[in-house]
Amino acid sequence: MKKQRIHILVLFLFTALFSVASADEIELNYRLKWLFNTSVAGDIYADAKGYFKEAGLKVHVKEGSPEKNAINELELGHADFGVASADQVIRALDKGAKIMVLAQLFQVNPMQWISRADQPQIKTLDDLKGRNIGITFGGNDETVMNTLFAKAGITSKDVKITGVRFDFTPFFKREVDVWPVYFNSQGVILKDKLEKEGEKVYFFNPADFGVNFVANSVVTSEKVWKNRPEVVKKFMGALLKGWEAAMDPANEADVLMEVKKQDKESNDELRRLQLIATRELIKPSAAVKIGTMDVEAWKQTEAIMLNEKQIKKPVRVETVLKH
Amino acid sequence: MLFRRIYQFLIVYSIGLISLLLIKAGLSLSDYVIPGFGLILETLGQVFDTYFLDVMNTMSVTVLGQCVSIAMAFGVGIAGRRSSWMGSFIKVTAYNIQAYPIVALAPIIFILLGDGFISRLLIASMICYFPLLLSVLGIMATPVEDIEHFYIITGRMRWQLEVKIRAFENLSKLTTVISGSATLAMAGTIVAEFIAANAGIGYSIRVALYQSDLAKILIALFLIGIIISIYQGCLETLGEQIKNRWSVSKGGNPR
Repeated sequence: MKKQRIHILVLFLFTALFSVASADEIELNYRLKWLFNTSVAGDIYADAKGYFKEAGLKVHVKEGSPEKNAINELELGHADFGVASADQVIRALDKGAKIMVLAQLFQVNPMQWISRADQPQIKTLDDLKGRNIGITFGGNDETVMNTLFAKAGITSKDVKITGVRFDFTPFFKREVDVWPVYFNSQGVILKDKLEKEGEKVYFFNPADFGVNFVANSVVTSEKVWKNRPEVVKKFMGALLKGWEAAMDPANEADVLMEVKKQDKESNDELRRLQLIATRELIKPSAAVKIGTMDVEAWKQTEAIMLNEKQIKKPVRVETVLKH
Repeated sequence: MLFRRIYQFLIVYSIGLISLLLIKAGLSLSDYVIPGFGLILETLGQVFDTYFLDVMNTMSVTVLGQCVSIAMAFGVGIAGRRSSWMGSFIKVTAYNIQAYPIVALAPIIFILLGDGFISRLLIASMICYFPLLLSVLGIMATPVEDIEHFYIITGRMRWQLEVKIRAFENLSKLTTVISGSATLAMAGTIVAEFIAANAGIGYSIRVALYQSDLAKILIALFLIGIIISIYQGCLETLGEQIKNRWSVSKGGNPR
């Protein structure tokens, strides 16, 4: 009986000790921009490998969607950190939101266009003329494509524009020649499907034609940035460590296993190809440090949005880039 | 009836808008999360013409979709009103089809039929049809014994007469249900446009959502609300007039 009591006491003390340790952890909410897939491998890996925990953080990594906007959640206090695209950041600044950009995750924008190789490759912007081009009206791709058109002096008479959604049927049925995709997710899936049918594809990357529209970045509110600098430091340290590890080819199998736990939709081979494609966008070369801010690209993104009348006034986005 | 509908909507919309503005002020939120009144007015000036045409586009599909769903509901309701095996089979089939959420079926419809008019019409009809069917089945399956008894014992009862008696004796209920289903038809059309179409106010809301532009969404909601209120008011007025004429033709007093 006495021995049993000692066991219970030890168990109680252990539980209490563990609870104290847990209570010491700082609890944070991190809202992603999109669903769990290989595009967010670094976020998943930082959590799964305990990098947040090592930094004394308990981070709830939450999936995003078009309806779940990280910047809204930062303002409402539902999230402490989040992932937002550059256009979201610039729009929010234009409307008075107080946010800070902590790291630019994608060094190359995954927003590209895919076309079949049995049609001429788009080597110059003039090659867009006469093509049926898919555009998501209201999306980033519309802004980017309009900028490319303006750059090349292409008018609406020169091209046919078709509004598109997530359903690729019009591209498969050849109703649309050039289709907007996220290079590292949909791009991989479409390429794989068409290659299985014996068809080759080309990707058209606006950055190759001088249009550098920044994609996803890690953001926080001005309030968190000013009032909790230690938390910001710990969070960013752990997150970028997770991304560095996730993008290291040596960890590929481990990363894929962790992504698979969250994303059961894709098959193993597709996930592997998506991870390789993501690596090219996040860390285009060994010299590039993950999270690096391409300030010129940010300025260009703002200029494009101003030119496209998506914002009313200059917001001087470079002033909120804090990495 | 029509004006009551409109001012009732304006009251509800104003309460909603004021609540949002209070939340914005209370939590010191930026215009990005909740737009200020000035920004909403400014956006109204920018998008009113486009959004009005979009709502009318959606409305045209709504009206047609509602007509289709009324026809479907009456067809199935009349066929399934009897407590025979066939009647029961039709009812069960109609219920089972409705068990699939339309938003899950919508992408399949769009893949098969494209993102044009037919897909929007079909989805609007499907969303609007089931509540109508339930009411029509309820009405059609309930005999109006004091009237029907006479025709039955004199051997003059036909199914067309039975349907007519039950419909006109429950005209008030049917008018209310049909008028109410207009909202469902509108919601169905907007859902269809939101999911996959390239036209209509649902599509515009989706574009505004891409741009996190709540001001545009609030204006879209205002226009949807006002137009649907006018439509419902017209339907109710029409129903009242039919009831009055029916009452006069039966020798009663028009209300």
